[in-house]
Order: sequence, then structure tokens, then C-alpha cells
Amino acid sequence: MTSTSLMMIILVILPFYSWCATPTVAANLSPANIDGLKAQFQTAMKSFSDVASIHYTLAGIKELGVVPPDTYCNDIKKLVDKSDVESIFHATEAARALANCKLPAEEYRALLTSTLQSDKSTTAEVYYAVRASVNLGLNVDESRVEKRLNALAKTDDSVASQGYALLTGAQLSQPIAKFYADTINDLVQQADEVDGRTLQYEGGVGTTALLVNAFYEVAEKAGVPVKIDPKQLIKFASYFSTKRHVATLRSAYYLTKVFKYLSDRKNTIPVVVSRTTPAAVSAQNPSVFVSVSNLFGQPVGEIFVVAESAKRKEDGAVVISKQKLTAKDSTSSIFELPFYDAKIPRGFYTIHLTLTPRGDEKLIGLTDNTIEVKVTSEAALENAELNVADRDSTAQAKTHKLTYPNALSEKLDLHSHQKLIIKFQVKDKRTGEYVRTQQAFIRFTNKKSKKEIIYLAEAVSGATAQYKAEMDLTSNAADFRYQSGAYDLVVIVGDSLLQNAFEWKVNDNVQLTFHEDSLADKNHQDLYLPRPEIIHQFRVEEKRPPTIVSLVFSGLTLLPLLILLVSWLRLGFNLSGMPLGLSPLVFHASHGAAFALMFVYWKYLDMFQTIRYLALISIPLFLAGHRVLAILAARREKKV
Amino acid sequence: MSQIGEVAGILRKLYDEYRTTTPKKLKLIDAYLVYVMLTGIIQFAYCLLVGTFPFNSFLSGFISTVGCFVLAASLRIQLNKANRSTFNVTPERAFADFVFAHIILHLVVMNFIG
Repeated sequence: MTSTSLMMIILVILPFYSWCATPTVAANLSPANIDGLKAQFQTAMKSFSDVASIHYTLAGIKELGVVPPDTYCNDIKKLVDKSDVESIFHATEAARALANCKLPAEEYRALLTSTLQSDKSTTAEVYYAVRASVNLGLNVDESRVEKRLNALAKTDDSVASQGYALLTGAQLSQPIAKFYADTINDLVQQADEVDGRTLQYEGGVGTTALLVNAFYEVAEKAGVPVKIDPKQLIKFASYFSTKRHVATLRSAYYLTKVFKYLSDRKNTIPVVVSRTTPAAVSAQNPSVFVSVSNLFGQPVGEIFVVAESAKRKEDGAVVISKQKLTAKDSTSSIFELPFYDAKIPRGFYTIHLTLTPRGDEKLIGLTDNTIEVKVTSEAALENAELNVADRDSTAQAKTHKLTYPNALSEKLDLHSHQKLIIKFQVKDKRTGEYVRTQQAFIRFTNKKSKKEIIYLAEAVSGATAQYKAEMDLTSNAADFRYQSGAYDLVVIVGDSLLQNAFEWKVNDNVQLTFHEDSLADKNHQDLYLPRPEIIHQFRVEEKRPPTIVSLVFSGLTLLPLLILLVSWLRLGFNLSGMPLGLSPLVFHASHGAAFALMFVYWKYLDMFQTIRYLALISIPLFLAGHRVLAILAARREKKV
Repeated sequence: MSQIGEVAGILRKLYDEYRTTTPKKLKLIDAYLVYVMLTGIIQFAYCLLVGTFPFNSFLSGFISTVGCFVLAASLRIQLNKANRSTFNVTPERAFADFVFAHIILHLVVMNFIG
């Protein structure tokens, strides 16, 4: 195999294989929460506190098809701040949303002109001034604005600034708009990708919506289609469709505008596919209904939907392949897929749908749509029996056959040498096989205290899947806290793939008699009541002997000193040889001082001070001592 | 029985020889050594009696006696004229060392006594 063919294999087949093998992550879009946005605007319309809110609310609700009454014109005139270009912008935009609201243009002209001529205005201010001028019908010096935008592009390269530049471009002539429309792709590249599924800009939903809205506005003015890669447009749409509730009116307004642009037939439309029936498929709901619409919830024209595959989550088994869904209405927005079938076993399924438009609609998001359903079935409890057996010899079992939902009528009396066994099987009515369930318990409820004691029923492995739960009155007595008395016995069976769950009262008078005395129920501490006070325990001092003992021994320690003096005297200790003079005096004095220092150290000083004093004392000590010893040495020499 | 008599005889002989041959200076130091040893024994007995609580004080006192004993013993060795051949140190030097070592010993003991 030559290296080139090997390269071919690696470069062509491997990526192809990995693309096929990549699990397609469900990137379903969901329809926009139009009602929520409308409600948000309508609540805001009840009272306004600033002109920006008026702008966003009135313009927003107009986008959603509700024309606000002209009475708000007075509010606008009252709340506008004539010295702030942004305020003027909001006022003119709000006035535009009303049918008949004229603002005094002359009052604002001076400020708008000065903003456009100033070298200090930001891109946002330039946009506000230009748009307000256009709204008021004032002239705008386009070349000047263009020059200013170019200067700003060099100094401020933030995404928001670029967005405002685009919006300003959309207000100017078509060639300028076209220039800015060409920069859309650059701006899109600057978006942040999250999880490989959504694209957004720093600043949250308000900023992202403003920017995407800017793309469409400027492209519309330029007369060109918005050039965004479909994959990236889907990611933007994904981001917006996850925003079910937005906090500010500004975000709500721009989000509404974006949804409108993304649902406009002139533009590329992302398609929303969602399930309208509940997730559980059963004999009563045998079909899955799917709705196909745009982000606004409107139909997208004639379209064909095919279920490519339905894979079971447990084992990946594919149950249907390339099945067409039937359209239920003429507008092609609801489709049906029959799913309840003998060939489709119970389980959780992921259905992959592919859409094909009839015409050449500019639709995106046609592949990678998934629907999750679960196929459930009805179950029955069968072959249930209750055995009362002796602990030691299982031969003597008394068996009661039980039929759901009938309870056992007779009273059960159990003593400490017995055990209770319950057996049952759960059958899937559709397939007739015995299944295992997620929940299978038996529950004893103390009739007096209502305390519950629950035991797990375990299934033996194999096809029969017989469940068995056992309660032994000696080894399990501690669970009941040895409380003898009357108990209820209930069997509980449940599963997420079963349509019906069971809570079957088997017997309501089970007398349990335990051998030991009953213990009171544990008093679980109430967490929110005051706890017992903690009193600090100081460290207990170590025991010391009585003072007398230690004094006696101190005295005893001094006793040998007496013995020493006596024995020295006996031996002939005398001071006759002691030299007299300055040096001996100094020697003895400093020697004594050193020992006095020791005492003072013990009582008052610390090591550093002592060392200093010691150093001081040791100088005369050594000098004098040397002298004295020299004298003694000379004396000795003389003697010899 | 006779063994005890033998031991007593040996001890008496030892004592007599000690009295006659040992110079006075060394005998003085021996008395001092006995004194220090007695002090140490009493301290130890006290510790055994009442327990080791303040342990640092007990150690300090005991080590003081032990240290004094050792220093005095080394002074005695150095002053003993019979050892002149092994040690080449004058008695004055030995005494000076004795004093110096004692100062340091007492410094440590006082620090530790608490």
C-alpha cells in the first residue's frame, strides 16, 4: 500500500467515519414564547417611569401586531429629557410606534447636530442622533457621519460599537449600507460559541439580539440577503429560542424583532420541530404528533417529514426506518407518526426526523431534529401468594393465594418464630412476558403510630422474573422496634414504562407479636428548636500533692547540704589559703553575681536579657578568675 | 556467713586506705559528690511519691544534680595527681573549666525549671 493511498484513507475515510459515528446532539429549537413577550409588554404598558421603557414597550407590542393608543404621546413628551441624545432617540422611536404623535423637532435639532459634529460622541450616540434625525425628518450630513464612524471603528472595536455602526449604516444611503452589510460576516466570527450549540455575544440576550437585529436591518437597507452561514444562524436561533423569559424590556424588544426577522419569508428561516402529544405512547395514544413551524409558531409551507430512525435508548435497537409522517392538515404544520405497534417493544426511544421542503424555501434546521418518546404498556400482577412459614422449617408453609385487587380477608397472626413471604409476578399484557420493574416493595404500616416499614421485593433472575419479599419476625424485629400490634400490609409495584402502578392492600389486620419488649419510637430531634446549652469546660488542673508534702521534701533536699558542711568541717575545710586582694574580691563578687543572676532569671527575666547580663558579668569574672588562678598557680609553683 | 564477714573486712580495708592515701582536696570533692548524690536521690524519691506533674521542674532539678555530679567528678579526675600522665592540664585550668561549665549548666537548669 503506497503512502498516498494510505493518506487518502486517513484523510477521506476517517473523517467520514467519524462524522457518521458522531452522535447527533439534539439541537431542537423550540417555538418562541410570544405570549410571554406580549404579556411582558402589556404589563409594562400599565405605567411608565422612563422614556426608554415607553420606546421598547410600544415598539415591541406593535411588532406583535397590537397597535398602542395615541394617549401615550403625552407620556412621551413628559418623560423625554431634551438634553440627552439617547432620551431623544427613545422618544422619537416611541412616537413612531404610535399612529399620530408629532414631536417638536426644532427643540432637538441643536443637540442632534452638535452630537453628530462632535469628536467625542460614541458610536451609540452617533446612532441615536442619526436615527432620531431620520425619525424627525431632519437632514443628516452623511459624509460627516461616515467619517466619524470610520474614526470610531479605529478606536472602539467592541462588538456593541460595531453593532451600532451597522445600525447607523442602515439609516444612511444604500452604498454605505452595503459597505456595512459586507462586515456582517466579520461580526459573526466574533460571537462566542457555547457547547457547540449556541452562539452569543458578550452582554447577554439584549446585546446579542440587538446585534443580530442590526445584521438584518442593514442588509435590508442594502438590498442584499444576510450572508450568515446556515450552521451559525441555527446556533444563533438556538440561543434565542432558549430564552423563554427575559428580564428587561430592551431584551424583550430586540428579541421580538429578531424572532420576526427569523420568521420572515424573505430571509432564511430556522424550522422548529416539536412533539405536541405527551411523551408516553400507549394503546390510548398510539401516535406521536409532531408540529413543524417557524420560531413564531406559524407554518412554513409545504414540507415532507420522514422519520429516519427510532432508536431504543437501552440497546440502540432501530425499530423504524425511513417512515413518512402523514400531514394532518392542509397547512402542513402537524404530522402524525403511528408508533404503538406489536413490533415495537417497551422502552425509551429517540426518533430522528428529517424535513424536506417542497418548494425552494430558504429553510434551515431540517436535519438533526429528534423527538423523545417512551412506549409503555399495561401490566398485571399475577400468581401472587402469601406464605406464612416457620423460621426453621420451610416445609410447614401456609399458603394463601392472592388475586389482585382482592385483599386477603382473614386475619394473619404471626409470632416471633415465623416469617412472612410474598411472591408475585408482573406481566406485560401486550407481549405476555413477565417483566422486572423499577419499584417492587411490601410495606407494613403500624396502625397506631402510622409508622411504615418497607421491604424490597427482589426478582430471581431468568425469564420468570418472580418477585419475592420476605419478613422474618426475629431477624427483622429491630426494624419494627419490637412493637407488637396490628399492621397493614401493602404491595407496591411501579415502573416508568408501565402505564399503571399498583398499591395493593393485601391485608389490613396483620398481627405481629415480637418476642422482645417494644422500644419507643426514636424521637427525631427537631432541628429548629434550641439545642441544649454548651457550657465551656476549662481544662481540669492536674492533681498536685498537698503543700505540706512538697514543703517537707524541699526541706529534705536541703538536708544533705548540712551533711556536706559537717563533713567538710570534719575533713578540715578552711579558708586559710584564700588569697586576699582586689582580684579575688572581684572574682568572688562576680561569681556570686552570676548565681544571683540565675535566681533573678528564674523569677523575673527572660533568656535574652539574662544572656546579656551574663555576658556583662562574665567579663570581670573571667579576668579576675584568671588573675586569682594565676596567683594560686604561682603559689603552687613556689611550694614545689 | 563468712562471706559477709569477708565483704565487711574488704570494705573496712578500703575505707582505711581511702582515709590515708587520698589527699584532702580530693576528699573534700568526694564529700561534695556524696551531697549532690543524696540531693538527687531525695528528688527522685519525691517524684516517685507524688508523680511527675510539673515534669519539667523535676527534670530540671534532677539534671542539675546529675550535671553537678558529673562536673565535680571530672574536676576530681583532673585534680588527681595520679592521673597527671593522662591529662595534661593544670589544676587551675580544671577549676576554671569547672566554673565555666557550672555557669552554663545553671543557665540551662534555670531556663527549664519553669
